[in-house]
Amino acid sequence: MIAFEHVGKRYGGRFEALADIDFRVDRGEMVFLTGHSGAGKSSLLRLIMRLEKPSRGRVLVAGHDLDRLHLSQVPYYRRQIGVVFQDHQLLFDRDIFANVALPLTIQGLEPHEAARRVRAALDKVGLLHRERALPIELSTGEQQRVGIARAVVNKPALLLADEPTGNLDPQLSADIMRLFEDFNRIGTTVLIASHDLALIARLRHRVIKLSEGRLVKDGAAV
Amino acid sequence: MSQRETAKRRAPSGARKAQRSGSQSGRAWLRHHRAMLGDSALRLIRRPVATLLTLLAIAIALILPAGLWIALDSAKLLDAELDESATLTVYFTGDVDESRAMTLAGEIGDAQGVAGTRLVTAAEGLADFQQALGVDDALSQLDANPLPASVVVTPASTTPVAVAALSDRLETLAGVDEVRLDLAWLDRLQQLAEVGRRVALALALLFGLGVLLVVGNTVRLAVESRRQEIEVVTLIGATHAFVRRPFLYSGAWYGLGGGLLALGILSLGGNWLASPVAALAESYGAHFSLPGLGLGHSALLLVFSTILGWLGAWLAVGRHLADIKPR
Repeated sequence: MIAFEHVGKRYGGRFEALADIDFRVDRGEMVFLTGHSGAGKSSLLRLIMRLEKPSRGRVLVAGHDLDRLHLSQVPYYRRQIGVVFQDHQLLFDRDIFANVALPLTIQGLEPHEAARRVRAALDKVGLLHRERALPIELSTGEQQRVGIARAVVNKPALLLADEPTGNLDPQLSADIMRLFEDFNRIGTTVLIASHDLALIARLRHRVIKLSEGRLVKDGAAV
Repeated sequence: MSQRETAKRRAPSGARKAQRSGSQSGRAWLRHHRAMLGDSALRLIRRPVATLLTLLAIAIALILPAGLWIALDSAKLLDAELDESATLTVYFTGDVDESRAMTLAGEIGDAQGVAGTRLVTAAEGLADFQQALGVDDALSQLDANPLPASVVVTPASTTPVAVAALSDRLETLAGVDEVRLDLAWLDRLQQLAEVGRRVALALALLFGLGVLLVVGNTVRLAVESRRQEIEVVTLIGATHAFVRRPFLYSGAWYGLGGGLLALGILSLGGNWLASPVAALAESYGAHFSLPGLGLGHSALLLVFSTILGWLGAWLAVGRHLADIKPR
């Protein structure tokens, strides 16, 4: 699903955010990406989302060689990836339903079919009863769940999450992680960047650890 | 197995599949256009004061060249009337009596380059003069009519050169004292009209640019205020066209609204000026009313302003979207 081949990323010619990163994530895997802040987790996710190009090496995602992806194809590529942000990035000028429907609106899905999928996604995160609420009326944990619903409403093959539990207490964090596991169980490939080591250790999935831009560990959680 | 190989082979087809079939995406495209048409209008209506100020700025920029155009149009109407009266007046010498004047008028009428003649006898000339000046008393005290008979000649060709040549020929006829033609001021009027046209064109270009800037700046602020939304939708796969669309529609709305406001103000102004203009024309014995823009030109103004608004938005969004990159 994801293949990094000796990928390096430099910013401004000097600062080396990533160096010689080489790993693969197979279809249906669930992987945690850990490391201190500044270790290169965000850079790695940005490469997968094709927000940036690597300075060297190749990134392959879901059958696309991202380096050869034409700029006009990038939006269509991104539609195949669901992304959950640390600060959930909900739009506060519209209700929960419209927020979750956003990826479907962008793709121009039939409104009837879109509504069905939005409700299914909201049901999955347990917020179906709040579809007419505004994001501001929800708690932080609920907002993050709406963010997850928006990421999965499109049934993406790959789900990325950047510190999805960064702002949540341990109980809520565990709930959120359980949600990701549920999606992984039905075949979605999940890659979660997180530094919540205690939580990751409990979940026993594969962990890729970055340190100062290098891959220092790749294996099962201990 | 070589998943990389499979990946490579699949790359283009995967992307194509993501774009979906033609008719389906066509319907979706239409749906989004319709939605954005309404959504952008709603956004403008929800901020009535700001919107009105923008529309007013656009309207003023449109009114100036359009108003000047109307003024020129009126001048052209006058011009046409003057063209018809671009005649020569041939004055006979004082010793030409009425029957001789008639013969001469007939000769002139047969001459080359003459389209028509009208004889004004000495008595008629005096009557005209009295009417025009309103000086009955002073003239009635004269013993004899001091005015000679004259012939008003309509030339076949009204080009300055042809008229001048005709005038020269008529002047050589026996019994002709003087040929009057007012080519100089006609010429000047034409030059003046040309200057006016060019000024109007320059103003139209300048103020068109003004509309572009007004809309551009307003849309730039709108883009800035929706920055987060733009970042998010870009991250989840919105195309540039999708992001641009609502802003292009608001630009078009601004243009159309500004155009309508300009038409309204112009028509109000026209009504306001109508009665004094009519009175002024009356005092010159002319019949003249302000022409206004007319249906065709009003529609043209609206189309033009809408396109300008759209273009202004397009320039602003295009420039600005490049700056907005998701974090």
